[in-house]
Amino acid sequence: MFSRWNWVACAFYLVLSICSPDASSGLVQSCGHIIPESPVLALGSNFTALCILNESCLDFGNIYASQIIWKIKNRLVPKEQYREINRTVSSVTFNDTSSLATPLTCNILADGQIEQNIYGITVTVGLAPEKPKNLSCIVHQESRFTYAMTCTWNPGRHTFLDTQFRLRYRWPEQIFPDCIPKDVNNSCTIDDSQFFVNTEIWVEATNALGKAVSDPLVVDPIDIVKPLPPQNVSVTSGLLPTVLQLVWENWISDAVMTLKFNIRYRIVGDTNWMEVPPEDTASPRTSFSIQGLRPYTEYVFSIRCMKEDGVGYWSDWSEEKTGITIEDQPSKGPPIWRIIDTSQSPACWTVHLIWKALKPYEANGVILQYELTVRDKSSLSSPVKKYNVTSTNYTLQLREGTYEVTLIARNSVGPSPPSVLLIPASNSKAPVKNLRTLPKHDKLWVGWTAPNNYVLKYVIEWCLMSSSSDCIIEWQIVLGDVQGIDLKGIKPFKCYLITVYPLYADGQGSGQSVKAYLKQDRPSKGPTVQTKKVGKAEAVLTWNHLTVEEQNGFIRNYTILYKTIDGNETVVTVDPSKTEYTLSSLTSDTLYTVRMMASTDNGSRTGPDFTFTTQKFGKGEIEAIVVPVCLAFLLIVLLGVLFCFNKRDLIKKHIWPIVPDPSKSNIAQWSPQVPAKHNISSKDQMYPEGSFTDVSVVEIEADDKKSFSEQDLKPFDLLKKEKSTSEGHSSGIGGSSCMSSPRQSVSDSDEGETTQNTSSTVQYSTVVLNGYRDQTPVQVFSRSESTQPLLDSEERSEDHAGGADSTPQRQQYFRQNGGQDETNTDRPCFERTKQITHANEGDLVGFVQLQISGQSSQPLGLGMEKNTQEAAVSNVLQTCTEGQTVRAETVEENPLSVDEMPKSYLPQTVRQGGYMPQ
Amino acid sequence: MAAAESPSAALRRRDLCSRGIRLAGKMRADVVDLLDAYVEQQGLDASASVAAVEGVPLAAVERWDEQTGTQRLLENLAAYRAFRALLAQMLEEQREQLGEADTGLGRALAAVLLQVSAFAYHLEELLRLESRGIPGEEGDEEEEEDGPPPPPRLSLFEQKLRGLGVLRELAQWAVRSVRDLRQLAKPSPATGAAPGLAESS
Repeated sequence: MFSRWNWVACAFYLVLSICSPDASSGLVQSCGHIIPESPVLALGSNFTALCILNESCLDFGNIYASQIIWKIKNRLVPKEQYREINRTVSSVTFNDTSSLATPLTCNILADGQIEQNIYGITVTVGLAPEKPKNLSCIVHQESRFTYAMTCTWNPGRHTFLDTQFRLRYRWPEQIFPDCIPKDVNNSCTIDDSQFFVNTEIWVEATNALGKAVSDPLVVDPIDIVKPLPPQNVSVTSGLLPTVLQLVWENWISDAVMTLKFNIRYRIVGDTNWMEVPPEDTASPRTSFSIQGLRPYTEYVFSIRCMKEDGVGYWSDWSEEKTGITIEDQPSKGPPIWRIIDTSQSPACWTVHLIWKALKPYEANGVILQYELTVRDKSSLSSPVKKYNVTSTNYTLQLREGTYEVTLIARNSVGPSPPSVLLIPASNSKAPVKNLRTLPKHDKLWVGWTAPNNYVLKYVIEWCLMSSSSDCIIEWQIVLGDVQGIDLKGIKPFKCYLITVYPLYADGQGSGQSVKAYLKQDRPSKGPTVQTKKVGKAEAVLTWNHLTVEEQNGFIRNYTILYKTIDGNETVVTVDPSKTEYTLSSLTSDTLYTVRMMASTDNGSRTGPDFTFTTQKFGKGEIEAIVVPVCLAFLLIVLLGVLFCFNKRDLIKKHIWPIVPDPSKSNIAQWSPQVPAKHNISSKDQMYPEGSFTDVSVVEIEADDKKSFSEQDLKPFDLLKKEKSTSEGHSSGIGGSSCMSSPRQSVSDSDEGETTQNTSSTVQYSTVVLNGYRDQTPVQVFSRSESTQPLLDSEERSEDHAGGADSTPQRQQYFRQNGGQDETNTDRPCFERTKQITHANEGDLVGFVQLQISGQSSQPLGLGMEKNTQEAAVSNVLQTCTEGQTVRAETVEENPLSVDEMPKSYLPQTVRQGGYMPQ
Repeated sequence: MAAAESPSAALRRRDLCSRGIRLAGKMRADVVDLLDAYVEQQGLDASASVAAVEGVPLAAVERWDEQTGTQRLLENLAAYRAFRALLAQMLEEQREQLGEADTGLGRALAAVLLQVSAFAYHLEELLRLESRGIPGEEGDEEEEEDGPPPPPRLSLFEQKLRGLGVLRELAQWAVRSVRDLRQLAKPSPATGAAPGLAESS
């Protein structure tokens, strides 16, 4: 029971002792402590700590050293490192302090289980300072009277501890205040350094683990001074054009130290400094005259100083000051050249004299004017011409000849030596050989081989080639012993034309030219290709050369790339001089894509695509097909025509059957009225009504009576005579002289269809061979509609003559058909018709209209018209017959004649249609 | 003196003389500059005549060329020790009057004081090289203790005038010191001591 209370009391005491912030001064004391308290340890050293328990805790809480455990932070220290010194002291040992960390605590396992902290310490691990090395000092002059000495050193390794560095210095009998660096550990500045006394300087580094002192530096600060550069530098020009005087102030007195100097200078715009020989400025001074300068040239000067004996440091360079030398007369004449224009006339030159402005170091001042003198060497009597020019070119009109041109440049001091240019009458002397170029970085080297003769000078002309502007010539003159120069200002990717002329003492050689690039690139664009002609298997491509600006180099070749939509690309290389190429072996009727690539030494550029389609047929193929076909067709037509021509009779026979000319019928010959043919007025007497027995007469009445004048009818009558004469023996044709067609005749007879076929059924009447009365008998074939023997016809004619009752009907019959037979000039029919017209005018109206249409009017129909025209024009004799036929057909188509059908022949045909009343 | 002089001692002597000459030259230049600043700062007339400063041997001396080297060194040392004390006093008074604000004049005074100290060191070294005992400053202290009482406290104007007098005398002493050291730096014809003795005799 007691022990239990004892344990509780002990635990309570421990808690109080641990929680107490100030155990030593508080009510409750700690049960122990660690020795050493917050040590600073050297990294890598060994370390032993002791934890000492208070006796009071031993008695009260049964706590002993054997129960102590050590911890680093929360990590338990292995028990192998513990050692129980006695019942109240436990030690722990670390062989290497690098394994240590903060805090290191001493703890106790109360009752074997409960871990209670007794004490803890902070352990600091670091390194002792190293000895500072490489101490060096420099005294900077800050103003005319103040000098600050800055010393630097190498502080050594990092110590991990707070390390203080001190720069200390002293005289033998006086120690100065330490210089403590701010924010750094490797330099410090002493503001008031004193000269001419050796000063011992050293550095001390101190931290918790020790102190290190550098080797002392003993130096008189005057020997380590870096003075301020000379001030108020000024440059003045003297009397000589090659001298400038430099004046300055030194900011360090001679009492402190004497100085020596460096002077450097350069031409304005130039970056390279020149330096006055140091030995010339090795003594104290405040001015110096720089000689050997170029006249009228602006120079930049700068100066620096240091202690005369060379011990110490050079000052910085002073601010730059400029000065300009005075003018001197030009040192040489301007280079002069000429361009001769003989375009107006070969005998009259336009000479453009051009010269270069002298370089500043040659002009030695401002060139006020150029004095030009031209002397005609071919004519001694010619006066010397002088010109004063302010520009750098002059144009003269000279006759062809040899001239000597002299040029002098003049400035305010004097003239230059003269430059002489000989302009010979011809440039026929030897040219340079083997002209070549070679790019050299940003310059283009031009080289040549000298001609065999002695050359005074060479003139090198070059110009940038352009397609849009003229070549602006630049030029340069070099001496005759030079065989190559570097052209400056040459642009890359530009084509230059370079020409070299040798100048001899007595003339000039012809120029040799070469094209060159400083640097080549691929063309800026590719050629645009297009087709000039496209065939079935070939295509002629054409393109324009790239302009010189687009080329960017020498075009080595063109490459044509072409392909079909789904085919492989074909590549063709073409000579760069060509602008046309023919692609062959192409597939017909195929779409091709073609593009073109121009190549230089440095690459290629492809132009836009161009598409074209090859033709389906080659050249001449269509002609080869069409022409034979046409020829064959023509041959066939020709053969057909020839055949038709040869068989025209047969064809005619088939198409136009020979219709007997009624006028040539024998009836006309035996008819008493035949002689009356020649006397129209007596026609009625020619064909007395009694002479016709069974004759159908078709009387056609023309609308225009005049068209049937006697004059018109005369030849027709003659033809009829001839026809009748020649055809007098034709058989089977007879009937009425006004008969239009056999069919009509047949229809007139009203004897049925079987009689309509003339060839088979029509029988013709008698042929009368004897003339009537005193007239020449004419063979008249009067077609008879009768199938009776001719004798019957004669008998019937008699009957007919005596039968008066049949006359009116016959007259009407004639009247209806007589109009069609105008061409037959059957005047009796005609006049009879007139008469009848008066009697029965209403029946004739439609028919008269039919006549007009049939003879001369279009609206009746082409078929009919054609037939009518043929009959009327080409064959008068046939016209009669034809007209009869056509009109018969026409009449058949005339519906207006339906009422007359019973009375006449015409209505029968009209009923079949075709004619329209008007 | 010079007969027993080792080469290193001769070099050391020459070096000390050389440095002393340059230091005296610089000190003269600085004192001249300081005089201008002092006159301006203190509102004094640069042409004002000032009585001789008490305790400082006059730079001007009769029969200067007859002095021995040691004598020259001793006179120089006495003078510069006096200047050192006077300049320290001036610096103290300056700080009392103007506080730390006037760093320019104070710094210049401090710089001159340092130079005076350095020059005194040079002189002591030269005397040591000549195997001469260096008179201690204790005598002065004894004198101060046993001698006349310290000078009565001066008024501000009197302090300024005394300062002007100190600087002027120092400038003259700087010139004389240069001449003295050049004289010492000259190589001795027979023995180093002979000319000195001759001069002193």
